[in-house]
Amino acid sequence: MAATTSQGRTFTIFMAGLTVAAAGLAYVGSAGGKVALVLGVVIIAYSCTGFIKIKPLEGVTAVGAQPAVMKLAGVGIVLLGWLIVLFGLNLTPSVTGRMITTLLGLAVSLVGVLLVLPMASNKNAIWKA
Amino acid sequence: MRIVRFASWICAVAIVLLMAGAGVVARADAAPSASAAELKDAAAKAPTTATQAAGDPGATITGTVNDVPVSDAKAGLTLSDVANQVGQNKIGINFTWTLITGFLVMFMQAGFAMVEAGLCRVKNANHTYMMNFFVYGCGLFAYWIIGFAIQMGGAAGNGNLGGLQPLNSEHTLSMFGKTWGLFGQTGMFLSGHTYDVGVMVLFLFQMVFMDTALTIVTGACAERWKFLTFAVSSVLMGAFTYPLFANWAWGGGWLSQLGTNLGLGKGYCDFAGSGVVHAVGGLTALAVALIIGPRIGKFNRDGSSNAIIGHDISAVLIGCFILAFGWFGFNPGSTLGASGAGCLRISSVAVNTMLAGCTGTFGALLYMWSLKGKPDASMSGNGLLAGLVAITAPSGFVNTTGAAIIGFIAGVLVCFSVSFVENTLKVDDPVGAISVHGTCGLWGVLSVGLFADGTSNYGGAWNGVTGSVTGLFYGDASQLVAQLVGIATLVGFVFSFSFVLNWILDIVVGQRVSTATEVAGLDLPEMGQLGYPEFVFAPEPDYLRAAEKVALA
Repeated sequence: MAATTSQGRTFTIFMAGLTVAAAGLAYVGSAGGKVALVLGVVIIAYSCTGFIKIKPLEGVTAVGAQPAVMKLAGVGIVLLGWLIVLFGLNLTPSVTGRMITTLLGLAVSLVGVLLVLPMASNKNAIWKA
Repeated sequence: MRIVRFASWICAVAIVLLMAGAGVVARADAAPSASAAELKDAAAKAPTTATQAAGDPGATITGTVNDVPVSDAKAGLTLSDVANQVGQNKIGINFTWTLITGFLVMFMQAGFAMVEAGLCRVKNANHTYMMNFFVYGCGLFAYWIIGFAIQMGGAAGNGNLGGLQPLNSEHTLSMFGKTWGLFGQTGMFLSGHTYDVGVMVLFLFQMVFMDTALTIVTGACAERWKFLTFAVSSVLMGAFTYPLFANWAWGGGWLSQLGTNLGLGKGYCDFAGSGVVHAVGGLTALAVALIIGPRIGKFNRDGSSNAIIGHDISAVLIGCFILAFGWFGFNPGSTLGASGAGCLRISSVAVNTMLAGCTGTFGALLYMWSLKGKPDASMSGNGLLAGLVAITAPSGFVNTTGAAIIGFIAGVLVCFSVSFVENTLKVDDPVGAISVHGTCGLWGVLSVGLFADGTSNYGGAWNGVTGSVTGLFYGDASQLVAQLVGIATLVGFVFSFSFVLNWILDIVVGQRVSTATEVAGLDLPEMGQLGYPEFVFAPEPDYLRAAEKVALA
């Protein structure tokens, strides 16, 4: 499909919604701000339905299906590593202890980034076909 | 008689009082304070308009006491006037410095555009240039409406820019008995109290940094990224992803508080953004590249990779030079001033930047020449950028030897990383953005914890902790832990946040162009015109044409 007027219009609506929502958030203490925030979110949601509607028009893409469960697991592992780092900081006051827990957490995160997610990405890659 | 005597007394007292008063006046006239006298003397000696009308080729009578504004014409020039002018001069110097360096960083967009487009095929040149062009608008707008507020809404207190007092609201969270900053809350649309001259300077400078991070992603996803999705993704990155981490590091957030709250060195230290700008951009690039998949023909069925040669190596190298020039804004400008609070260290920061770029080039060039047989031009360019990326975080804290080592390691590291990303991860990154900005950005963050020499003194403290930033090699292991926590947050949080955000966009909008569009080249289908309409395109190599046929089938 490539770029079309539908894409341009939907993007315009998305930007308008984001701007109105942000304006609402900036003045959320006032009644007008709350109304603007809700209105902005509604406009963004509307633009998303537009995106979903025009997405199939793009046609076939050269990317294989990536297993969602595997991707979720990958993201989960990455986040788990980060949580280990955060809570590790409060396990011990010693510099060495904190360094060990931080390196451990980082290693866990890297497993997700460098192993699980690339596997998910390449599982059904078209170049394998 | 008594009346006369009484009257005489009254007169005598009156005369004494009068004399005393006159004496005071006389003393004031006769012996004014030295500084006031000097001011008057300087005013008297100042060149007249008639003298100045004769011209001043020697620059000796331009800029005198006459140029100091007087608040009260009747009282004339006072010490208060002079002191106020000195203060305004300091802030004026800092404003000017920060704005000009910000303008240099803005010009880096042109360098990025040339590097990325040059490394792409000619059929995608317009699309790649347009992504680099439009990312500026997407990022700027998103940052103005909300991003800046999230990043800097609680960053009041910078004396270099006049205090920035309107930025006084940081949302915090209390955990483990400590208070941690999460995100700022003032400055949306730069409205209200943030309609302030100092805040405007900070906004401009921080905005061009943010835009640098955004433009990194376009390189890794070039030649297959749908323009619509690129635009939406860039807006969201400028509004949320970048500002959030930047707040944690620079806006008074929890990473910067690791020193005050947990005693880890001076907290997470990232002088000019190896982590905040480059690693955020590089890791987001990796996240999107994983979702979007490789270009058609990049990998063979056995997993081996093909080189897809860019169309203009001259543009790549000129772009690298433009980026190196802009980096003199990036790093030295991050002092946010040139006067006061140790800001004269800008000279050291600038030299460190030059050196690391130089040794980075050496690292990559020598590696490629020694092991692959040719001093590869694109990898040499990436080596220069790798050195510059790596020195960005430590540039304000290390000496020249440290800078040279950091740059050289980055130059070699980028070669290993490009190979690892392509051959092990099977991730297609046409310009090496993941390695240059992601890998070397993380190396830059780590190097602060190793090489910071403890000599910098930006007002006596950093991140609220008294003293100078000192790394492991100079005696402070706790700084290294703070840097590792920053790296873990970049990998653990920023990467996952970007991945999930762009995964949702893939579901809702779709990240990749159609196979037909990709084979035809993105210029005509996506942009409506070719980048070089009068060029006769050389046919693509057989392996690419074969892969395109298979993909279309």
